[in-house]
Amino acid sequence: MSCSFERCLMKFAIALFSPAHSPASRRALRFAEAALAGGHEIVRLFLYQDGVHSASANIVAPQDELGVAGQWSRFIRDNRLDGVVCIAAGLRRGVLDEQEAARHQRPAANLSAGWELSGLGQLHEASQNADRLICFGGH
Amino acid sequence: MATLHLLSHSPFSDGRLASCLRLLCAGDALLLCGDSVYALQSGSDHRKALESIPDSVALYALDEDLAARRLDALPARLLPVDYAGFVELCCRYERTNSWL
Amino acid sequence: MARSMLVITRQSPWSGPTAREALDIVLAGGAFDLPLGLLFLDDGVFQLMSGQHAARLQQKDLTANLQALPMFGIESVFASRRSLSERRLDEASLALPVELLDDAELGSLINRYDQVITL
Repeated sequence: MSCSFERCLMKFAIALFSPAHSPASRRALRFAEAALAGGHEIVRLFLYQDGVHSASANIVAPQDELGVAGQWSRFIRDNRLDGVVCIAAGLRRGVLDEQEAARHQRPAANLSAGWELSGLGQLHEASQNADRLICFGGH
Repeated sequence: MATLHLLSHSPFSDGRLASCLRLLCAGDALLLCGDSVYALQSGSDHRKALESIPDSVALYALDEDLAARRLDALPARLLPVDYAGFVELCCRYERTNSWL
Repeated sequence: MARSMLVITRQSPWSGPTAREALDIVLAGGAFDLPLGLLFLDDGVFQLMSGQHAARLQQKDLTANLQALPMFGIESVFASRRSLSERRLDEASLALPVELLDDAELGSLINRYDQVITL
């Protein structure tokens, strides 16, 4: 955390537990945007439980709805953020990268660009390095 | 060492709000997001429960969720926040407990 | 000094992977020697019942994992007295030793940890 006369700038770790079609996923994205706009740092975005679906490249949102998964991918890329998907949660829910698809002989890799599969240790590491851990999930 | 509790489920179909209210401490805060803003429905038991929270607990709601649901006649103590305000709250309180 | 984390587990073992995934967060943190606590709240206390038969639902039994918490350095294990009592669970016959807390104590517990995840 760094503090100026006016206010403190914080390092945030943001964990998301809901899929892209959940209001929580959009809410997390809007929060993350506001955090950066406020001058804060995001040390990592970590997807867990159904949040792994927010990193799926296979989502086709209805034309009259927001494509949140695509927005996440662009957000991570445009801001050069560290986006991690829990590998155990991803495997359970069928969100795989090329390596895991090959390892488990599954027909397709669907992890969206900008995200990387890794272990729960990454959530703990982010929590240790951040000033604040903010979780989004549920509805 | 206060906590910002984050809710997003409707209390009419879910027990998270009730559980949260039982363990609030003086100085904590509640931020209602998503369908949890329905707890503010005038005349409802959940509204009465929110109004009975001690004054030492601050009550916030995400403004976009209030507006989308056209909730009015809000309690005077309720402070709507936008996303910049949401971020500021997370800085102000030592930890955020999201009732996922 | 390492930041401490409290994991609050609120789901029964039979309602999907959440009970297991909450425990996985705790075990992963324990493997890194991080200061962690685990609180069983609401339907999460159903994880503490002894003698359950996970195999009948073709599921993995989490009880052994829960009983192994001390081996991962996780000694701070709590349960809500109210949650147990609402569900008529006998405090004396739980599958693992837990510290029982009343509602007021639960709030103070949360405020003693640097971070909290409630699943």
